[in-house]
Amino acid sequence: MKKLLAGFVLLFGTLFLPQLVIAAADLEVNTPAISAIKGSMQARHGQLAAHYASGAVGLTKDGMVAVRDANSVPLKDRGALNSAVAAENADRAKLYKEIATANGHPEWQPEIQSTFASRWIDKAQSGWWVQGAGGWVQK
Amino acid sequence: MKAFVRIVLLLFVSLLPTTTYAVSEITIRATAIEHAQIEAKNVNLLVDLMKPAPALKLSAELKQKAEKDWTLLNVACMLPQATKPDAIDCDEGLVKNTAVNLPFSLKVDHLFNQDGFDLGKLNAKASLQFKNAGFSDAAGLHAAEKLNGQIEFAVQRDGAAWAWQTSLDWQTGELFWQPFYVESAGHQLNASGALKEGVLDVHHAHFAMRQVGELDVSGQLRLSDFHPIALSANLPNVNLSAAYHLLFKPLLDKTALNNTAMTGNASLLLKMQNGELKSFDLSLKGVDITDIDQKFALYQLHAEIPWSYDNPESISVSYESGSLLNLPLGKTNIRAEVNRFSLTSPSVTLPILDGALNLSDISAARIGGEWYWHLRAKLQPISMADFSRRLNLPTMSGKASADIPLVTYSNGLLSTDGSVMLNIFEGTATVTQLTMRTPMGVAPKLNADIALRNLDLGDLTRTFSFGAIEGKLDGDIEDLELQNWKPVRFDASLHSSPGRYKKKISQRAVENISALGGGGAAAAVQRSFLRFFEQFNYGKMGLSCKLRHDICEMDGVESTSQGYVIVKGSGIPSITVMGYNRTVGWGELLARIKRVTDGNSKAVVQ
Repeated sequence: MKKLLAGFVLLFGTLFLPQLVIAAADLEVNTPAISAIKGSMQARHGQLAAHYASGAVGLTKDGMVAVRDANSVPLKDRGALNSAVAAENADRAKLYKEIATANGHPEWQPEIQSTFASRWIDKAQSGWWVQGAGGWVQK
Repeated sequence: MKAFVRIVLLLFVSLLPTTTYAVSEITIRATAIEHAQIEAKNVNLLVDLMKPAPALKLSAELKQKAEKDWTLLNVACMLPQATKPDAIDCDEGLVKNTAVNLPFSLKVDHLFNQDGFDLGKLNAKASLQFKNAGFSDAAGLHAAEKLNGQIEFAVQRDGAAWAWQTSLDWQTGELFWQPFYVESAGHQLNASGALKEGVLDVHHAHFAMRQVGELDVSGQLRLSDFHPIALSANLPNVNLSAAYHLLFKPLLDKTALNNTAMTGNASLLLKMQNGELKSFDLSLKGVDITDIDQKFALYQLHAEIPWSYDNPESISVSYESGSLLNLPLGKTNIRAEVNRFSLTSPSVTLPILDGALNLSDISAARIGGEWYWHLRAKLQPISMADFSRRLNLPTMSGKASADIPLVTYSNGLLSTDGSVMLNIFEGTATVTQLTMRTPMGVAPKLNADIALRNLDLGDLTRTFSFGAIEGKLDGDIEDLELQNWKPVRFDASLHSSPGRYKKKISQRAVENISALGGGGAAAAVQRSFLRFFEQFNYGKMGLSCKLRHDICEMDGVESTSQGYVIVKGSGIPSITVMGYNRTVGWGELLARIKRVTDGNSKAVVQ
């Protein structure tokens, strides 16, 4: 019985530990670095929003964005689209790192990133493409 | 043949007789044909024997067995004449599937030498013309639209090898091949070489890129794995403004050069062996580079940059003028020795404003794709008045100079060993333990300790329109961290310097200091008889702030039961200014300082 209980505790621990960590992390924490990154992402959002809506760019399950199908974008704009996606991903990686650092726990970055991933996907507008376990789906 | 081809549902052969009983037309239709690797369906083959010359028309859908998508193939060809049995002329060609739409015409001039149809004596010459062709992969990262052009191709047996020549004339259309985008075409390629034992030998390829320049290439490519055995490329004269957008911008995406305008000319000679760079020789002539976001600019840049894997080389770079973060840079010459992946230079002088930055004992190395470097830096005095004006700071007097015995850059972190000394406000500001991360990036970070000694309070308060104070100021700002140039943490303490000197504080300064502490004393001054005095004597003054998580924990020169003393009076008339709020939000404190220095809280003496 004791063993069983210990097993349950262990199972519970492994299942919920990441969530507990996140419960403790302040995802809204603000530092000048975080607000600079958010500012840079906001400035880019106008450019990317049209691509989310057209399905050219989708939200990935790891909290990043990816070119999904650029065929609707004129050839001459595809380079800029790729640059915007690369710059957005660089900012997102920095954002997750800075939020973990601002919480005093740089090692929380992977959990913070996966929490943001589901947040972005929850907040995605209908018609946008998001990456599920089985691949791209349209919301 | 029997073993490989199974015609599932054949077939329908019609021989349409004409009045003279000769056969005029042969039609073959097959619903499906299967082969070991290839499947075909809806095959229609029509041979028209009545045209001036006999013609053949084929339409079929094809696919490899493993694939899902069918490819439509249409073609109409004139049948070879007896006089030239290997000449083929096809028109109305079309290859089409979900990814490719390639209308084409094909003209084969000859396939063999005249003495027979022996494959060993293949001697073919053909031209392929494509009209409004397009293709795209699923993600659209390799795609072309409305391509018009012509490819000529010839191949002959040459001993054990095949000799080939080709020319490509790309007339119109656009292409995106990640990360490159090529528009409005007008580019040409002529190439010749040999193919032997799986190695493609390019003896000479000449690209003429419209507006950009000409490129000559030779080399060898192993076809089994596309391994470049050897490559030598020569761009004798490149127009940088066209080449930057076409070739360099996509490649410099993640560097500081990803958003610039460039003009001028460059030449590049490059050699690779077994996939490794062996040597290059880059030369820049009269190049202007300006960052669109105005972070930096260099004008009239000239450079001779040779590099070799085997031998040390000397490089030279010079520019007439430039700017970095709004600071003007003067004419500069840089010479350095390059030895494979390391670079050294005894000294470089960068004129900045009325002074200069001397860098010496420079040594840099590229290890595992990252740069590491160290150097000694000495800043010859520059005028603070000019410096502060350029950076939109309140105009400061004095000079800044620095001597840093060791600056190192490693893993994206710039750190200094030694001190940056600024001679400002007739005192000194010494910056030590200075480190910086990504100074040009989105969220730059700076850490430092700053010690202020004997700053003239008269100068200081005039500069920041604070209200006059006479005296001297010391300060220590320790453990300072700036993110995006804004403070997020420090332990700061400012206080009057030790020693004997004139200590006077004006009524307005008293009001302002009180305002920083959150009011209280100011109102008291205005209500009391003290309002009759323009200035007061003080014994000592000081204010400290420990900034953590956007909260400043404040203290003064002495603590009392109600608060802390910011200005302690002495002599007649004297005044003591108290602070009562021990904690204040950093944003609120900044707002108060701004109100004070903007002059909005001018003392109202009633």
